[in-house]
Amino acid sequence: MKKKQLFAAVLSVAMMLGLVACGGNGTSTSSASDSASVSSASSTSVSASASSASTEEKKEPVTLRMAWWGSQTRHDRTVAVIELYEKLNPHVTIEYEPMDFEGYFNKLNTLVASNDVWDIFQMGSNFPTFQSKIYLLNDFIKDGTIDVSGTTDAFLRIAADAQGNQVGLCSGVNTYGIAYDPEIFKQAGVAEPTENWTWDDYKKICLDIHEKLGIYGSSKFDDWQAGGSSGISQEGFDYGFYNSDNTGLGFTDYKMLANYMQMRADLVDAGAYPDPGACNEISDIEQDFIVSGEAAMTWVASNQFVALTNAAGRELKLINPPRKTANGPSGITIQSSQMLCVSNDSKHPDEAAKFIAFFQSSIDANKILLAERGIPTFTAVREALADNLTDVEKKVYEYVDLVGSFDTGGKPYNPASPECGEAVKEQYKYYLEKVIYKEMTADEAAKAVYDYAASQF
Amino acid sequence: MSKTKTPAVVSGRTPWNRFAYNNNTVGYVFAAPFIIGFLAFTIIPMLTSLYYSCTDYNMIDKSNWVGFSNYINLFKDERFLKSVGVTLQYVVLSVPIKLAFALFIAFLLTRPSKLVSVYRSLYYLPSLIGGSVAVALVWKELFARKGLININLAKLGIPTINWFGSMTAAKWPIILMTAWQFGSSMLIFAAGLKEIPTSYYEAAKIDGANGWQIFWKITMPCLSPVIMFNLIMQLISSFMVFTQAFVITKGGPNDATMYYALYVYKQGIQMRFMGYASAMSWVMLLIMSAITAIVFKTSKHWVFNESES
Repeated sequence: MKKKQLFAAVLSVAMMLGLVACGGNGTSTSSASDSASVSSASSTSVSASASSASTEEKKEPVTLRMAWWGSQTRHDRTVAVIELYEKLNPHVTIEYEPMDFEGYFNKLNTLVASNDVWDIFQMGSNFPTFQSKIYLLNDFIKDGTIDVSGTTDAFLRIAADAQGNQVGLCSGVNTYGIAYDPEIFKQAGVAEPTENWTWDDYKKICLDIHEKLGIYGSSKFDDWQAGGSSGISQEGFDYGFYNSDNTGLGFTDYKMLANYMQMRADLVDAGAYPDPGACNEISDIEQDFIVSGEAAMTWVASNQFVALTNAAGRELKLINPPRKTANGPSGITIQSSQMLCVSNDSKHPDEAAKFIAFFQSSIDANKILLAERGIPTFTAVREALADNLTDVEKKVYEYVDLVGSFDTGGKPYNPASPECGEAVKEQYKYYLEKVIYKEMTADEAAKAVYDYAASQF
Repeated sequence: MSKTKTPAVVSGRTPWNRFAYNNNTVGYVFAAPFIIGFLAFTIIPMLTSLYYSCTDYNMIDKSNWVGFSNYINLFKDERFLKSVGVTLQYVVLSVPIKLAFALFIAFLLTRPSKLVSVYRSLYYLPSLIGGSVAVALVWKELFARKGLININLAKLGIPTINWFGSMTAAKWPIILMTAWQFGSSMLIFAAGLKEIPTSYYEAAKIDGANGWQIFWKITMPCLSPVIMFNLIMQLISSFMVFTQAFVITKGGPNDATMYYALYVYKQGIQMRFMGYASAMSWVMLLIMSAITAIVFKTSKHWVFNESES
């Protein structure tokens, strides 16, 4: 009996020691090593901090968590930059989590609910929804932790909220465009699109190419962006889906949405555009139908054009999306493609801010990133990259400059979308599918979308 | 102390001893881990969900009490009603197919054969890996427009089917994937088949019954309790179909495969209408309880219980 009790006691003490010694890393090893008898660990941490005391300050080891969405190209490049930063700042460890777009926002939603958002996270124009979780960068800019001397006010403003608070640092500017394969156009004997082409031209081109070559005229479009958001802006300089301070809609005639929906349904019917089942097969830009030669053109964000061309392995050209009228507004502008933000749940906001500043403004980091998220907003970085641009990258820069030169009627650009943005986008896609499957007319669907969006305010 | 062995449990000496060594106490202590887990991970979240279903919780802002308006809005939501319809259609189609497959294979496996145990493991394999995302992705590739299935159909001269683009065809790959995972039902059927006394079969053979009659008059009635069990289990699990629809069709062309659990996910996590999604979950609980209760009540008429006769 006594032996058994002694054995049990020894085992439980050993288990306790094991749990305590394993627990904690980074800043908490100091407290753990106090209580455990793992004196060797405590002695090495003391000697390590003693040796680094020779540098200006004793740096506590810091662990940051980071997440972003993107393609494999983006993941590889971002990880390389993270490793570079860790080399330059040995006291910082960054645990990263790359994901796809939908998975990222689903995870973010759950983390917001549990108050555990990553220290550094990527954010787009939907940042007002997550405003309560974003640590504003104004103080860091004021005290110099983030050095903004290398960028302009305009570029800072596209990552700021309506009150002018700096919400994040822009990772790059981009815009939308249509990538097309000039070879396929030549084969089908169809003229290439020009700057002033209209949605009617687009429809005719799709039908012609499908008739002559049997492939899709066009691959998957971002229907919401093309038909809803930019579509309304193309009606005139005063129109936009939402008004300039996101308190209501920016248009009153629901029929402005109907034409696009009808055209989309007609094209799917004719087989010139992939149906929703086929669209589902595309999970990433590198699997787009234009890459496999099954389509002649596709919707693309300018910063993804390089990845698309590399995947396609042949020359592709970039042009702006079709307009509603040949001389009407283009509907697209230069925008912040996305930005990096610091979260309110972070225990080391200053370290996170330092990393973000490095990410956006360091020339070495950006030589790895190569503008995959968009054209850099820091002038020195732009110039450093401009020396080594490949032909494809030059096309992207030229295209972004072209869009920048379009007339926007003097309207200031609103970088944010309202909180109901996600729900409205979802309803738009839902009603568009109903039109495609002939359960609703385009008119009814347009009215339903308009009513739903209006009811959100 | 005497040299004879004292009983291992010295109960009754002090009140603490009486309490600690009481059989009930010992039982509760051993059950405690499960009870704690059940409370923490099942009961408390369920009650919290019931609370949230009466609010407009969206995971970021403060929640406001809205009473039953979530439940009332549910029945006005056409997408919800379509989701219920599609789920019921899926259940009605997939459960009989899965059980029929399971019974058929179980029947084959009770034939004397040298490799019976190998076959049994082989046929059980799909239900081990079937529910995984990897297999769902493979299925997605198989039924793609240019996937293996369509290539083989074309070779046979049958026109290819646009599986995921057509609203009527989209559910079949998912039903097939569920039916493919018949392993656990098959094992239970096999056990049930083994339990039928061979004396019944011998008596039937002497009376000159043919195969069909033996099957319908002896095998099925004797199996009916097992069928009942499998039916209930498969009904409940098929109402909760999620992975296949989420990975393969994401709700299908025009909501043709927008199953209940997927719609809850869409509303709760993607659009962050958590209160609404919680209300939906409770309605699902009610529907499933009702259907299970109906199956139980009607079972008196068709389940043959050997002990009663």
